[in-house]
Amino acid sequence: MNLIQLESVGLRFKVRRFGRISFKEYLLSGLFRRSKQAVFEVQALENITLTVSEGERLGIIGPNGAGKSSLLKVLAGIYPPTSGRRIVVGHVSALFDITLGFEPDASGWENILYRGYLQGETPRSIREKMQFIAEFSELGDFLNMPVRYYSSGMLVRLAFSIATAIEPEILIVDEVLAAGDMAFQAKARQRMKALMRSARAAVVVSHDLTSLGSFCDQVLWLERGRMRLLGPAAEVTAAYTRQVTQQGTTSQQKAA
Amino acid sequence: MVAYFADIWRLRHFWLALVRVDLRKRYRRSIIGLGWSLLHPIAMTAVLCVVFSRLFNLEVRNYAPFLLSGLTFWGFFTAVVMQGCQCFFQGESYIRQHPAPLAIYPLRTTLGAGIHFLLGFLIATVFVWLVHGFGNLPAMLSLLPVLVLIFVFGWSLAVCVGLANVMFQDSQHLLEVALQMLFYMTPIMYKPEMLLTRRYLGWFVHLNPLAAFLELFRTPLLEGRLPSYWAFALAAVATCVVAALAALALKRFEKRMIFYL
Repeated sequence: MNLIQLESVGLRFKVRRFGRISFKEYLLSGLFRRSKQAVFEVQALENITLTVSEGERLGIIGPNGAGKSSLLKVLAGIYPPTSGRRIVVGHVSALFDITLGFEPDASGWENILYRGYLQGETPRSIREKMQFIAEFSELGDFLNMPVRYYSSGMLVRLAFSIATAIEPEILIVDEVLAAGDMAFQAKARQRMKALMRSARAAVVVSHDLTSLGSFCDQVLWLERGRMRLLGPAAEVTAAYTRQVTQQGTTSQQKAA
Repeated sequence: MVAYFADIWRLRHFWLALVRVDLRKRYRRSIIGLGWSLLHPIAMTAVLCVVFSRLFNLEVRNYAPFLLSGLTFWGFFTAVVMQGCQCFFQGESYIRQHPAPLAIYPLRTTLGAGIHFLLGFLIATVFVWLVHGFGNLPAMLSLLPVLVLIFVFGWSLAVCVGLANVMFQDSQHLLEVALQMLFYMTPIMYKPEMLLTRRYLGWFVHLNPLAAFLELFRTPLLEGRLPSYWAFALAAVATCVVAALAALALKRFEKRMIFYL
């Protein structure tokens, strides 16, 4: 069964040179054509067609700005595609920007509650997980402190522990998150792998090609918002590596 | 529609928690806690009572609860409009992470403002009971549907201004000016009868839904009578119109708003 299905999905952003438009500008631009603000259109994704079926793991690779995160956000239902169709069956759990969205004045414990509620937990179901989350984060007494005073590493620990306490149906992960110090990173990676195994389907963005190759069935190589290559993991990562090393040598030659 | 409300209900723990955070954040470090929020309408009432009771020759024991109830309602209205403008920006980091019904963010604002409103209203009620004795029960019961109406009105309004402010960021400034003007044109500090006889202003008061809301809870509270059907009808129509607008706006922008945020 196909859990995720994208049919020639496109995503187009309008970007204004000077921030948001104001009502005044809107009126004026109607009256005087000249005062119109320059609007860029950015085609973040173009003609993306893919399916992820039950039990499958899809990896996404590509250079910065290729549209990897945008694609994840379309999959998670945060951006609606501006063209094409998105069909997702099942509950999506998304792990990206996880350090955003804390209530700074509330304590770590309270933030565990709020995040849990947003992920659809109830007071009863979250109570069982709270101890587990607290232990995994290893934050101890710091959990009684307002999150405002946390270091960024502590925030990552907390965010990661909460976000991964779910039992995901469809898991969507932006792996480019650096999770705390060395010890925690190792632990986090393990947890992430366990999660991806337990999910019915998973989509991961990562720069770690070797782990992607060993973990994913399919890999999608994105470039400038388009699908460069989609296929078996080993094949695509190999092609990608070849291209990157080639580019590296040519640019070195140019420099020399 | 039903599915949308079911979604909102499913996330009730989340937005209720946010309302609690907001309340606590506001009164963190203040010993008298929630009472702090009532200081503003009470202080205003005290000052205006001293000034206007002389100017208009009014009796303080009648004028004070009249004023306090009016200012409390106005406080709710301005809070819904002004904080409503910010509600989506306030929830931006959640919106960017998790697809949830957008209406929960204005709901958070409205519930917060609603709690202050209820407290102020309670104080006015207690004041009236102490000074004039318990009013009549059917009239007091008529307040229940009115509270529901006010809540729906506030929520819908917050949705509308919130979306407007995301689209056009100067909405907030325009609304601020509009609120200032409305404050003087709505019978908050004076009795509506003082304007009703004037030709144009009279019409304005007659058709002002805010004046209708004021009448809806002042009449039972202060005079122990049921409010006029006109006030009920006007408030209900205004609520329906704003709610319909909010529904339309959400239908159009629910998915796309993220591009403007």
